[in-house]
Parts: sequence; structure tokens; C-alpha cells
Amino acid sequence: MEKIKIVHKPSLGYRIKKAIVGVALIAFGTTFEKVSKKDKVLIEELKDWKEGLVFSLGVLPAGPAITMRKERGAIKYLGRGYKENPELKLLFKNMDSAFLAFTGQMGNHTAFAQHRILVHGSLVDGVMANRGMGIVQAFLLPGIVLKMIFKRPPKLTFKQLLIKANVYLMVGVWIALKMWK
Amino acid sequence: MVPEYYEFLCPVRIISGMKALSNITFEMELLGAKKALIVTDEGVSKAGLIKNVQKAFGGSKCEIGAIFDKTPPDSSTDVVNEVAKLFKDKKCDSFIAVGGGSCIDTAKCANMITVEKTNDLMKFQGVERLSKPLKPFIVVPTTAGTGSEVTSAAVIYDVKNKTKLAFTSGLLFPNVAILDPKMTVTMPAKITAATGMDALTHAVEAYYCIQKNPISDAYAIAAIRLIFDSLLDSTLKPKDEKKRLAMLNASLLAGIAFSNSLVGVVHGIAHASGGVARVPHGIANAILLPYGMENNFDKAGDIIAELAPFMGASTKGSKLNQAKAAVAAVRQLANELKDASGLPTKLSEAGVTKDQLEDIAKTAINDGSCTMNPEEVTFEVALDILKQAF
Repeated sequence: MEKIKIVHKPSLGYRIKKAIVGVALIAFGTTFEKVSKKDKVLIEELKDWKEGLVFSLGVLPAGPAITMRKERGAIKYLGRGYKENPELKLLFKNMDSAFLAFTGQMGNHTAFAQHRILVHGSLVDGVMANRGMGIVQAFLLPGIVLKMIFKRPPKLTFKQLLIKANVYLMVGVWIALKMWK
Repeated sequence: MVPEYYEFLCPVRIISGMKALSNITFEMELLGAKKALIVTDEGVSKAGLIKNVQKAFGGSKCEIGAIFDKTPPDSSTDVVNEVAKLFKDKKCDSFIAVGGGSCIDTAKCANMITVEKTNDLMKFQGVERLSKPLKPFIVVPTTAGTGSEVTSAAVIYDVKNKTKLAFTSGLLFPNVAILDPKMTVTMPAKITAATGMDALTHAVEAYYCIQKNPISDAYAIAAIRLIFDSLLDSTLKPKDEKKRLAMLNASLLAGIAFSNSLVGVVHGIAHASGGVARVPHGIANAILLPYGMENNFDKAGDIIAELAPFMGASTKGSKLNQAKAAVAAVRQLANELKDASGLPTKLSEAGVTKDQLEDIAKTAINDGSCTMNPEEVTFEVALDILKQAF
């Protein structure tokens, strides 16, 4: 009988997904900060958020994470990992779930419906964070992807399209610099 | 159609029937329990229903350690801490919740802080944050509405921070749910109607919201059939134990459905109506259900149409016509219940004022239920539904 090998080392597929999710999270965090200072829709949405709220977005059990804080009406990206004892965490149960969401294959509402994301903290804060994340995703993902994963894809104004172009430039330059290093 | 992925859980042992309550001590022994703390409210106590439970302990080695009958309609962290303290002081080893949603949620939360050895419920807010199994926990519902005897959630008002705390965990399920019609025969007509419509809303929303799956669908359909068959009769003839038992089962089936498939915009707005305008939950659901269904015609009309035959509605014509027929059947039931019990069918009849509508809409969009609604729920959408239902 063939002996079954017990493998604890993550597979190549897992490591690739982890790398992509890690990059996507950083892009998401920096975009959230940028858009929170420029886009009227997100600025209005953030008015109801608790000032000083620290929230993290991460992947269980030990995947990448980022932390953000609401500061002076906008979002400040605090960096990688769970920082400052976040009051709210939105956690993907596993890397496959995070990969689906961060590569635009699945919308947030579907991820919640399929129990792929957990909320640790107030559910009201979680719903508001989810709505904010949806606004930010509209600036990160191409229109054709938004049509597939959003219940009602947002129609971006000309000013919002300019912000989106700026975001793409920022993320593109950052990725290029990282690869150059 | 089977969704590409779903999860389903219902580990509750269900005992239903005439004199089902006489099994309570047997179930306690199976769970290794000997001394129960009964969590109930004054209404249940005054109706003499606790005496039914006490009778069931006769001749058994199990005993009732204490009875807490001060659970308010909207339970709070103070009440939960008081219950947990009583549990510890009387050296009980199990909880029995006898009552509606508030009693059941109070018992769930008191059980939670007992096993986690803390009185800080904030630590467990959210989804799947518990790590220890609860103490043996039996529920005897006295309303046929919330379905909390088979759900994984509990909601409590945090007095200190003036906010609602919500907990969801697979560990929050009771061990046993006992459905005995004797425990619901004293329910007044209006409460029977309101809680029944709450159950209907659970079942209907569970069927068409985005988390639906084949298992929850089966429970939802069974619930809808029973409700359309039994709710009006149990409102008109409160002593009819067969109809009361049918409604208890309908409520349980709807509870299993929505616990696994969640709900949508109707519940989102109903929760907000309760918070802002103090509209009782069942009444809010009864008023808002037809409007919530109509709101989802574009995204889920075909699915809503599938409910028409189970509501006694026409199955002729296009899917949209069938969906409209289903909504008409819900409206007809609500109107019949209004004639039978005075159940309001408009928000203005339930005491909501026009100036409250915007606050309700603003609160509703932050309710988790709206995330599961097929149609996007914005402030404008929620306000539109409220204006129509006013």
C-alpha cells in the first residue's frame, strides 16, 4: 500500500496566493487612505465612523494582515500586521477565500454570505467597514469586474475616474519599485 | 440550483408534541445536568406557565435550583450578569429558558459568560469568538415567532456603552428545544399574529436572500406551508393545541432556515424601527414584509415566484406575476390577521411618525441583514420602503 506523506510545508500554490493576497492588502490599505482624503462619497461615509476606530483586515490562521485607523475624518493606513489592538477585525477564514475576494472573483457580500469572512467586534462597525471597503474597491477594480461582483456596480463620476487613474499609477509604481528591489 | 459554496448547522435536539414538556428531566439527565436555573419573564410567570415546567420535575432526581423571572423585553448586560451570578450562587449546572426571544438570548449570554468566566461580553462580540462549549441548555419557547431555540445568535443591549451587542457562534445553539403547545395557549391574539408573521418573514427572507441553500430552502418552505395553514386559526382559536403546535413547528423551521441563510432588508428595517421608534419586532416585520419582497423583484423575483404555490397564490402567468401573487397572499394574510387581532398593517398605525423615517433608514443600512439582501440597500432604498409602508 502506498505510504501517504504528511506534509506540513505550505504548497507552492498556497505561497503564490499568499504573496498575491499580501500585495493586494497593502494596495488596498494605501488606496483606502488616499481615497478617504479625496473622494466625496467615501468622506461622507466616514463621517459616521467612530473617530479613532482601529480596524484590521486579515487572513486566518496566520496569513497577512493590514491595520487602519480613522483619524481626523479620514483613514490612516498603519501598515502590515495587527497593530494597536484593533477594535474591529474582518478576517478571512483561509487563504483561498481571501484570494477569491482580493482578485476580484468574489464580492464582499458573497464572501459574507458564504461564511468566508468573520467579524470580530461590533457587527454595526463591521457593516460600515464593509460598505467603506466596497467604495474603495470601486477605485481598485476594473469596471468589468465591478459589474460581475457588485449587486449594483457604482457609476463613477469624471472626478472619481481621475482619482482611480491616480490610484492605478500609485499602485503600479509601488509594485514596480518592489519588483526592482 | 445549488450554490457554489454554503455552510449549514443545526445541532439542536428537537422534541415536539402534546406533553413534550414531560421529557425535560430525561433530557437534563442525558446532558449530565441535575440542577437547572430557569430564565423567564414576568408575563410567562403570571400566565402560570412556569407551573407546567415545575410539574415536569415531579418524581425526578433533577431539581430547579432557581427561577429568574425578571427578564425584560429588551434584555441587557446588567440582566445577563445578574442571571450569571444567580447561576453561580445557587450552584446550578444547567440553564432552561422558558419564554420568547429575550429570555432565550439572556440565557445564551449568561451561559456564555459563565463558561468563559468573565462579565465582559464585549470581548465576544462578532462571529465565532467563543471557544468553550456552553453549560447544558434547554429551551421551552412560549411564543411562535423568533425561532431563537434553533439559532446561533444572541443580541443584548450594552447598558454601559449604550449599544446593541450581537454574538454569533456555533457554540450558542441550545442542546434541546421542547415544543409543547400548552406553553403557547395563553398567548394573546395580537402577539400570536405578530410572532407568527415574524416567523413568516424569517422563512420568506431565508428563501430568497443571497445566503440561501437547498437545506435552508426545505425548512423555509415547510414553515411557510404551516404558517399559511395555521396562523389565522391559532389567532382566532387560541385554545386549539393542534394549531398552536403547528405554529411552534413553523417558527422552529423558519428559525433553522434563517439561522443558516440569514435574512434581508425587511429585518434590517424592522430592527431599526424597533431601535428608533420602539415598534415591536413581529409587528414591524408584518408591516414591512410585502414591501421588502417587492423591493427584491428585480434581483430575486423568480425565486419569490417559487413561493406562490406554498402560499395558496396563483401560479399562472409570468414569474413576475407569480411573485406579485405571492406578495398579495402575504398582504391578504396580514389583513385577515388585522381583522382578527388588530395587528397593524402600516407603520403609522404602529406609532411611527413621519419625522422618524429618515433616522430609521439611516440605522437600517448598518444592519448586517441588509448585506444579505439580493438588492443593494442604500439609504434611499430603505427610505423608499419606509415611505411606502407608512
